[in-house]
Amino acid sequence: MLSSKLLKSLTAGVLVVGLGVTLAYAAADDQIKARQTEMKANGKAMGALAAIMKGEAPYDAAVVKASLDAMAAADAAAGEAKAWDASSMEGATIETWAKPEIWAEGSQVGAKYQAWVDARTALAATTDEAGFKAAFPALGASCGGCHEMYRKPKG
Amino acid sequence: MVLGLLAFWLVSAPRPLPASAVPAHTANAANGQLLYNAGGCKSCHKPNPDVAGLDSSLPSGGAPFKTPIGTLYPPNLTPDIETGIGAWSDIEFVNAVQRGISKDSQHLIPAFPYTSYARMPVADVLDIRAYLMSLPPVASPKRDAGVPLAFILRRGLGLWKWISLDTTAWMPDTTQSEGWNRGSYLVNGPGHCGECHTPRNLFMASDTSRFLMGGPHPEGVGKVPSLHKLIESKRYKDAADLVLAFQNGESFGYEHMSAGGMGQVQSNLAKLPQGDLEAIAYYLTSFK
Repeated sequence: MLSSKLLKSLTAGVLVVGLGVTLAYAAADDQIKARQTEMKANGKAMGALAAIMKGEAPYDAAVVKASLDAMAAADAAAGEAKAWDASSMEGATIETWAKPEIWAEGSQVGAKYQAWVDARTALAATTDEAGFKAAFPALGASCGGCHEMYRKPKG
Repeated sequence: MVLGLLAFWLVSAPRPLPASAVPAHTANAANGQLLYNAGGCKSCHKPNPDVAGLDSSLPSGGAPFKTPIGTLYPPNLTPDIETGIGAWSDIEFVNAVQRGISKDSQHLIPAFPYTSYARMPVADVLDIRAYLMSLPPVASPKRDAGVPLAFILRRGLGLWKWISLDTTAWMPDTTQSEGWNRGSYLVNGPGHCGECHTPRNLFMASDTSRFLMGGPHPEGVGKVPSLHKLIESKRYKDAADLVLAFQNGESFGYEHMSAGGMGQVQSNLAKLPQGDLEAIAYYLTSFK
């Protein structure tokens, strides 16, 4: 028979651990939401840039700059929210399309991220339509490089 | 019991095409190359990454291909005599591609989409062989599949083929245009789009009543999109937009083109002539 003191301690222990786990999961939900917000902003910016690439919209240096600024801001906000920390691997109530391989040993996600940053820098350095059209595909491909490897197919 | 086993043995036996199925045909390696790209053969038959110095542009095989039943190592498609298809006859090649039967009369695991290739005219398959035979030979030995109970599984596949392998040849729909039919052929035959985009039934056979309507991803995680209503759902503006997506993928911002292996499919499709991509897009966007 367990003493009541031991029983109480055990119960309290379970509660504390349980609370900790719940908080961790709730935090993961927030991180995943931040990640999805980032991707939505990136997608919107890419839409404006791709329209220029495909000739659906005229080349406009101001739109290019605003789109790249929006991506940089989304990147910074995601960093602030720890949206890509390993603790965000699994949510409590929301689903993530990020594959756990992102955080596994040997993950190339760092290099993939750097490719995106570099492609943004290269595109920001362009000053005319020809330069833009030469540099944009590398930016799109840098998104695809990570998506193909680390995003679950979502149908 | 004995009768049951006998029935299983008979039903599950490989049923190859006879040598007489090979028509008199002057092989066209250029058409073979086009179909090789439409099929994306190289995406699975890529070189073994553990061997240094292999030409990554050649389908020398041996790279791991993970499936829910285990890891497969698609074999060497270069004309090496010892380890490739160099010593294969026309009919041996046709039976592998269109009936899923190896040179040594074993059932091949249907990660190799012979269920789609079975619909192709034999002449087109011979063209693919001619293209492969024109490649430089690479010595790359066969790697055995990491699949439990491989022998029983392979024989059991005969039963699955009895249910799932429809060997009816692709036929044009005479009420449709030439372009639509070219797209239909590329999608249903060499392109084997339905192997992932058509869901499977209880027997793991393509559920033709839900043709190209999407379903669970074959690797077990996530979903494969439906190819119906591509324009109505605003995924693509029009058929020309879909052609641009095939040609450029996510480098033009088409983010649907990269996930679950579609990036590799897209990079193969990008090698097809514009007219063929227009045909595929025209055909696919006709599904409302």
